[in-house]
Amino acid sequence: MERGSNFPNAANAASTMATATATTPTSTTTTATAAVPPKRKTTMELVQQRFKSDEEVQLIFEAYQIIGQEHVEGLLTLVSSSKGGTYALVSFTLLRTPLTVSNDLKINKVFPINKSFQLTKDAKSSITQQQFDLSTDDERPIKYYYHPIKTDMESVDYEEFVAHIYSCKKSMSSAETHEEKVLNFRWLDDYREIGEVKQELKKRESQYIVYRDITIYCATWNVNNRPCWENTSSLQPWLARGENAPHIYAIGLQEFETITKIMMLNSNQLQMYTSQWIRKMMENLHTENGIEYEELMSVRLSGIILAIIVRKQLRPHILRCCIHKVPRGFLNAVGNKGGVGVSLQLNEANLCFINSHLPAHMENITARNEDYGIIENDMRFEEEGRPFRTISDHDHIFWLGDLNYRIQEPPGYQRPGPMSDASTFEQLLQYDQLRNEMRHDRCFRGYMEGDIKFAPTYKYDVDTDTYDTSEKQRAPAYCDRVLWKGKRIEQLDYNSVMEIRQSDHKPVYAIFQVQIKTRDEAKYKRVQEEVLKAVDKRENDNQPQILASKTVIDFGLVRFNEHSTRDFNVYNNCSQQVDFKFKVKDAPINDICEKWLRVDPCSDSLMIDSERSIQLRMLVDPNSITGLLRKMCTTRGKCDFDILILHVESGRDIFITVTGEYQPCCFGLSMETMCRTNRPICEYRQEEIKELMNDVSPEYRVTMPREFFLLIDYLHKQGDRLRGIFQSYDRRKALSAKFNDVRDWLDTWSEAEFPGTPETAAEALLLLLDLPDQALLEPFVKDLLISKSKSEAMELIALLSPPKRNVFMHLCMFLREGIERHDYELSNVASIFGRILLRSSEYAMTIDYANRCSEFMRRFIYIETSDAIVGGNGHGGATGPSLQT
Amino acid sequence: MAKKTYDLLFKLLLIGDSGVGKTCILFRFSDDAFTSTFISTIGIDFKIKTVELRGKKIKLQIWDTAGQERFHTITTSYYRGAMGIMLVYDITNEKSFENIVKWLRNIDEHANEDVEKMILGNKCDMSDKRVVSKERGEAIAREHGIRFMETSAKSNTNIEGAFCELAEAILDKTSGRESAENTERVVIDRGNGDKAPGYNKCCA
Repeated sequence: MERGSNFPNAANAASTMATATATTPTSTTTTATAAVPPKRKTTMELVQQRFKSDEEVQLIFEAYQIIGQEHVEGLLTLVSSSKGGTYALVSFTLLRTPLTVSNDLKINKVFPINKSFQLTKDAKSSITQQQFDLSTDDERPIKYYYHPIKTDMESVDYEEFVAHIYSCKKSMSSAETHEEKVLNFRWLDDYREIGEVKQELKKRESQYIVYRDITIYCATWNVNNRPCWENTSSLQPWLARGENAPHIYAIGLQEFETITKIMMLNSNQLQMYTSQWIRKMMENLHTENGIEYEELMSVRLSGIILAIIVRKQLRPHILRCCIHKVPRGFLNAVGNKGGVGVSLQLNEANLCFINSHLPAHMENITARNEDYGIIENDMRFEEEGRPFRTISDHDHIFWLGDLNYRIQEPPGYQRPGPMSDASTFEQLLQYDQLRNEMRHDRCFRGYMEGDIKFAPTYKYDVDTDTYDTSEKQRAPAYCDRVLWKGKRIEQLDYNSVMEIRQSDHKPVYAIFQVQIKTRDEAKYKRVQEEVLKAVDKRENDNQPQILASKTVIDFGLVRFNEHSTRDFNVYNNCSQQVDFKFKVKDAPINDICEKWLRVDPCSDSLMIDSERSIQLRMLVDPNSITGLLRKMCTTRGKCDFDILILHVESGRDIFITVTGEYQPCCFGLSMETMCRTNRPICEYRQEEIKELMNDVSPEYRVTMPREFFLLIDYLHKQGDRLRGIFQSYDRRKALSAKFNDVRDWLDTWSEAEFPGTPETAAEALLLLLDLPDQALLEPFVKDLLISKSKSEAMELIALLSPPKRNVFMHLCMFLREGIERHDYELSNVASIFGRILLRSSEYAMTIDYANRCSEFMRRFIYIETSDAIVGGNGHGGATGPSLQT
Repeated sequence: MAKKTYDLLFKLLLIGDSGVGKTCILFRFSDDAFTSTFISTIGIDFKIKTVELRGKKIKLQIWDTAGQERFHTITTSYYRGAMGIMLVYDITNEKSFENIVKWLRNIDEHANEDVEKMILGNKCDMSDKRVVSKERGEAIAREHGIRFMETSAKSNTNIEGAFCELAEAILDKTSGRESAENTERVVIDRGNGDKAPGYNKCCA
């Protein structure tokens, strides 16, 4: 629990945690006796493995998450860094339970415990299930759940967890404010996920976002159920105000037909009515040279219509248009009241337009507020495959309509004067219900409205500018309004239109200048390139890497049947745990290394900053010599013993070259090669013997290999001592202790006495015959296996290369003598030698292969009486030189 | 957990004699840097770089192989997964150019049949030490029907261009395949469409 002095005031938190962590592991290290295989690592130890040596896991807490429908097991771990002097919560997902290796822990989120860090208990928590949110910086909070049933002894319970986190947070935030230093969380970068391009781009938004001015024209009119064809006068006074042609029109109508009529009309007729109105609107827009408009989208709910009309050139920049309706009114469902909305994206900005008709009558303030609330809440713009948008998800919101709020004058209040004077409006507006309700936050929270410098828009006698003279004598009111919400909106104009008189309402319009968030494409492209580069760089830099202490492993002089080992280290020098393994090589090897090598371990995980020793063990023995010599012969230039592929999981491969010098030895060499030597084999170097092996000329220095001759000669002289040899032969069997002495005796052409016993000599003889790449009787093995008689076989034997032929004949003579003397058993010898001399992987699987081999040998080493006679008739001379030569 | 940040992933391989500059080419492309100290690659390294081609984000995963002769056999096992191969020689080294034929044979034997190939004559900034003329490079490329460029990792000549050209060639091939699939689909649709009117007629 050592920590640098730069650790800010965390002594308290740290000491409480020390006890928490120190006590728990002891309770789990229970009865580990010697008989128990390697102790399983505790969760704490496994978690600690995921961090560097100067980072310490303070506590672990079992919390799960719900992702989609799935319950995902996880661990929250409090980690301190002595280098950074800070704490963080690291959230892990458990890929497998129970945990056995640290790789089963996957980091899914990192929460630096800084000033903005929050642990918020969820109100839905219960005794059986705690819920809480974690958040830092500007990121969305993430929900975690906890069941108070611990599965791991080391983990803390909820209260303990919360207490620790709070005390850490307290010490961190006081360090931040008092010492005025920025807390160092850079160590956490190694555990964060590689930033995604989209997120990165969002972060750098300021570098490529520009704001472009556009004009938005909002207009609203309660048309009092008057069909538009009765509206012969121009709507231009309503829709073509302001200096410039706007970019977007949002035009709302209310009561475009009576509810009874609407219910009688079929959908085609309704569509026609709506279209007529929209056509009428289109005919009365601003006219400016070169500017054409088109209807982007319109929506109708009963008598409420909202049409969005845009400049044609703007159309390609508009995306994700959608509409929604919230019916209110009769039974809260008919839709004679309610709201309609259009949502759209223009460049990088989200715009929303709402047209609503709220409940009428002076006293219905609450009903209006309620309907507003319901429209605000229930308006959901849905698109397939995306989360829906609510009104407040938009950057710029425009709400227009007949909101029906009235002027509630105190009893006995005398209207201050003619309805044309600005001061009159100001006085009246003091009693405006909407303003009053907004002031008290009872509706349209966050919305703005411009100054009203026009007369109440309701209620007029139709076709006049006179307020209601009917019996009802409705008080004038500002029913028709335009509100907005959002940044970078400036209202240019807000007015009613007196000269349009077809309705008991006057139309209202408002003109806005809005700064629309827009991507500067050139800048964006540049930023995107930079981001891609940065993300690539991070990926390249974070590639798991290990260092190998050596890439060339030199075994020095390697001798037959002597093993040697070499070590090298692999070291994890990157910032994450690394898994490595030796790759299995392609056919024909199909293994991580050649037969004469062993690698241990073949794979492992390396924690950060840790090292592992790899041992290579080399042994050229009867099972591998043939392969090694073949490889030497076929490799151009100097032959390496092997090249291992050290593979780093999701990283690079390192080639480990295993090299050295093979000390040539008679075992494994062909009879021909041995007959080409002019000095003891031990005096040859690898390259020289390779040359002899690849020599195909028919010139030989001796008739048969001296090494073979010496062995036969020794055996021949042993007389009785040969009794019982050649019982069995197995190439895979461990060689006898004296074998290497025999090897040296042969390889040095030693004049000394044979260093072994008849058994070692027999062993050496069998290996000398068996180990060459080609069986002694090749290339005639196939024909000899099917040969029917000795004479037939002899014809083929005569065609063998002289060294092979001589070895064969000499061997047969020697064996025959032994059999005649009953030193060893005919059937054993025939079987053992037959299979060696006629070795064939191709035919070894045929049914009577073993029989045929024995049969063949028998013909050459057993002299029946009749054969003896034949032999006596002079054929014996053909069997080669006498042993006494 | 991490979302895909690219549209297509192309695996490229750099091969050629030891010391021709494969690693430098890769380093220039991925990190826009150059170092003249020679460090022999002992194994297979890779770097990624995302490029945008025809509106598609293409993540290039570029494998840099050891050029040393002793590794030739082992590196051929990496050819199989490659969609594009850069075969690099050094214009100041005659032998590295002569070996191009041998490398091409290696590709034929071990790489996918439809692998896109490109020959790069690197170190073209060293004109005073040039022994292989550009014409000879072009000739051998023409003879084998593959792309050719002279590059210099040091002076940053044609490096980005070479990778983009190779990637584009692979993109052509992939999108060619895609559109072939599309045509097939259209044919099937038309088959169904043909039936439908007939059926309608029967009903009427």
